[in-house]
Amino acid sequence: MNPTRRPTVRARAVLPAVLLLACGGEEARDAGVQGAGTVVFKHFKVPGGGEPLERLLRRFEAENPGVRVVNETLPASSDRQHQFYVTNLEAGSSDFDVFALDVIWVPEFRRAGWLAEVGDLLSEADWDDVLPGPRAAVTWQARRYAIPWYVDGGVLYWREDLLRKHGLAPPRTLEELARTTRTVLDREGDPGLAGFVWQGRQYEGLVCVALEFITARGGAILEGNRAALARPEAVAALAFLRRLVDEGLSPPMVTSADEEATRNLFAAGRAVFLRNWPYAWNTFQREGSPVRGKVGVSAIPPFAGGRSASTLGGWQIGVNRASRRLEPARRLARFFGRPDVQKTLALEAGFKPARRSVYRDPELAREQPFVVRLEALLEGAVPRPVTPFYPMISQTLQAAFSAIVAGLQEPEAALRSAAIQIDHVLELEEG
Amino acid sequence: MIRRAALWGAMLLVLAWSLGPFLWQGLTSLKPTGELSRLPPILPTAPTLDHYRGVFEGRPFARYLLNSAAVAGGTTLLALAVGSLAAFALARLPVPGRRLILGLFLSITMFPPIATVSPLYLGVRALGLRDTLFALIVVDTTFALPLAVWVLTGFFREIPEDLHRAARVDGCTPFQAFRRVHLPLAAPGLFATGILVFIAAWNELLFALTFTATDRSRTVPVALALFPGLHEVPWGEIAAASVIVTIPLVVLVLLFQRRIVSGLLSGAVK
Amino acid sequence: MRPVLAREERAGPAFVTPALALIAGVALVPMLGAFWLSLHREMPVFRISRFVGLDNFAFLLRDPRFLKSLGNTAYLTFLGVAIETALGLGLALLLHRSFPGRGLARAALLVPWAVPTVVSGRLWEWILNPSYGILNHVLGTDLNWLGHPSLAIHAVLLADVWKTTPFAALLLLAGLQVVPRDLLQAARVDGAGAARTFFHVTLPFLRPALLVVLLFRTLDSFRIFDVVYVLTGGGPANTTETLSVYAYKLTFSTLDFGYGSAVAAVTFLCVLGLSLVYVRLLVGRRA
Repeated sequence: MNPTRRPTVRARAVLPAVLLLACGGEEARDAGVQGAGTVVFKHFKVPGGGEPLERLLRRFEAENPGVRVVNETLPASSDRQHQFYVTNLEAGSSDFDVFALDVIWVPEFRRAGWLAEVGDLLSEADWDDVLPGPRAAVTWQARRYAIPWYVDGGVLYWREDLLRKHGLAPPRTLEELARTTRTVLDREGDPGLAGFVWQGRQYEGLVCVALEFITARGGAILEGNRAALARPEAVAALAFLRRLVDEGLSPPMVTSADEEATRNLFAAGRAVFLRNWPYAWNTFQREGSPVRGKVGVSAIPPFAGGRSASTLGGWQIGVNRASRRLEPARRLARFFGRPDVQKTLALEAGFKPARRSVYRDPELAREQPFVVRLEALLEGAVPRPVTPFYPMISQTLQAAFSAIVAGLQEPEAALRSAAIQIDHVLELEEG
Repeated sequence: MIRRAALWGAMLLVLAWSLGPFLWQGLTSLKPTGELSRLPPILPTAPTLDHYRGVFEGRPFARYLLNSAAVAGGTTLLALAVGSLAAFALARLPVPGRRLILGLFLSITMFPPIATVSPLYLGVRALGLRDTLFALIVVDTTFALPLAVWVLTGFFREIPEDLHRAARVDGCTPFQAFRRVHLPLAAPGLFATGILVFIAAWNELLFALTFTATDRSRTVPVALALFPGLHEVPWGEIAAASVIVTIPLVVLVLLFQRRIVSGLLSGAVK
Repeated sequence: MRPVLAREERAGPAFVTPALALIAGVALVPMLGAFWLSLHREMPVFRISRFVGLDNFAFLLRDPRFLKSLGNTAYLTFLGVAIETALGLGLALLLHRSFPGRGLARAALLVPWAVPTVVSGRLWEWILNPSYGILNHVLGTDLNWLGHPSLAIHAVLLADVWKTTPFAALLLLAGLQVVPRDLLQAARVDGAGAARTFFHVTLPFLRPALLVVLLFRTLDSFRIFDVVYVLTGGGPANTTETLSVYAYKLTFSTLDFGYGSAVAAVTFLCVLGLSLVYVRLLVGRRA
């Protein structure tokens, strides 16, 4: 299910501390003493068995006597979490104090008045240490509304062995990628082998992919407060995507594919190129994986004369403005912004930290070299439009992009119509 | 002879059509993860129970099953109690505006659940009943009432009016007549209705998804809908969970199919 | 007899009250609330909340996405119900005969209907998977069932019909029980073939059951949500988006509560209209 599944953290494993909830910490709740009480932290399932996070929370409790943290996991789907938060926060709920937000929700929640300001929780030097993408996502008019927790960005995977076999170098432009795919497919002559797979289903993931191609062409979705979608760069980028399907460089299944469908195909050794998120890397290197040791990875190449791009993903820590335990909640938020805490999560759960200094750590370089390699890419990651109206805009974008890749509409017409709708929505803000 | 063969053929087709997909899901649940992405092996070469283990690991699936049983059971009892009372009245007692009331019940089945979800959610929150099974039971009962009343009215009408008159003449109050005469006689109908309501409540998704916030009150359909992580859809585990959830329903249906059919029969023909 | 009657007159309404109370409180009030919301521009996230009368409905009539979802819904409903009824009739005729194993067949038939929609949704999602799905494997094709604009809605139709046909089959089976055996005997004695017997003897008696099936299945199908949401989420390019899915997205993704309620309200009105038509047919026939 989960048609609007957003690409972010790896799945699985519920924290055992959910049981804590059943027993509840009712006695400690609202102790009424400043700085004490039970803080409820709500988030999605953390990869790595949930123990790393558990240990961290115990460490926090040890450093903050009198404060107890209760973990509540939410459904993994980003969509469902959004539904949950909206319904609860709109009703002024104070059932949870700290929660994890998808990077695209921060402006929306900020505008609705649900996020407490947290700029003062980190020093200026600390804020400078945060990667520019997430920092911009949580900032508005010089105020900060969430603590960047971890980051994500789209990457390109390919089969090194296949390229080497045919004497081809990893593509440096998207045009080259198309040519390379054509060559490999022709020479391999294997009908079961797909060329370049990416997420083309009508959901948020498609917006991420499309944004990468648009940026690679030197275009953008928004410029200032107007849609730049109907400009030639964006049209050309989407036309390229459609051509990939038309010419058989991408299999027809991409139009209904999400991260998992494409990853499975590549992991089974049945695709040459894959656009996905960094989480997939570990799954390729597992024991028994047919592509173990054969995978190359890089940033998404630009179009000739364009700019290499990676769509910014990731999660931030927000504090519920309606919380009745603001003081301990803010402490927890600050805790998650510390470099040592982010390093622990990087080491043990493969999180990609939002703070630059963590990437310099030698231990991390030793244990999680892949994470460290990503820093440059994440530094330049492109955010989706940072506006409170993003969820609305996203609906329009998803429909337009899907219509183009499925061949239902011509890129120019679809994008022009989408641009009109987006402008209409953005005008609301000015009203 | 040909007729027999054709009949058997048709029956096999029915079985394949109805149960085939489940068989496939069952096979999937036994395949090791590596094999899931490859198709030529239709049958698992190295059947494993890993996925079944995985279903219970890291999530309180047993708790979900318990919650589902509690919600379905509670809904059934409440719907039967309230519904049988109403059905009896509509079948045997003078009720002003009977047509209107029946029409009202029917029109409830026309409401798109989407329309009522948000207002109900806010109401549930206001009453402090969020994340409780009680709220779910009450809501499920309400939406099960039209079906329950519809089927039960048919059963109550079948009971001869003379029996009712005799009981009243003997001095029973209407409620006593209901309890001592009609209920026992309508037992098969109650049973059939109970099963229909149980199944509907067990499978209910939208309200369960909206009203339950944590594992404490989560039901099985919700757990199934939320199975996949943000990535790495565990197809094997989903298949295993589907099998686990389906088997009790299949058993229930197999045991009581005659009653279910007769229940619908009675209500439909009236 | 008077005291007895008086008691009954009081008991009647009293017995119905609990059910009515639940219906009123839990179903009716929220529905009215939804209607009330539909008359507003209600976007809590942006603190927009004002009465706009019928503006939402006026926009709705011009909204291409609404019209498309209405079309999708109508297509799924009418085609789906037609197929279900035809298949259901065939199954009912088959299961009406006695043969060994009939109980098993009936039970097997009920299973798809008894299972949660989520389970059946996942089941079909897996079967229809373009790369690993068994359907493509068996047919030897690599059709993109859920990703191709023309195929997707039919994939949804397939999954929905599979799940709901048992209900139609059962109701029609019940209807078949009413057909008087002596009439069937007479027809056979007169030398009428199976087809003629069916059309001239069985069908007239089956009419009430047929209309009940059509009525209930149409009502349900028009509000279809679960199977679409799980299989395609409304895509590709909104080609499988039904009214309920659109209302859901409006309410929970775009957070436009007012307009979302308007779409839901219109869905209700359509269903109400359809049911009035069917009821007229049902009552008309009887009279």
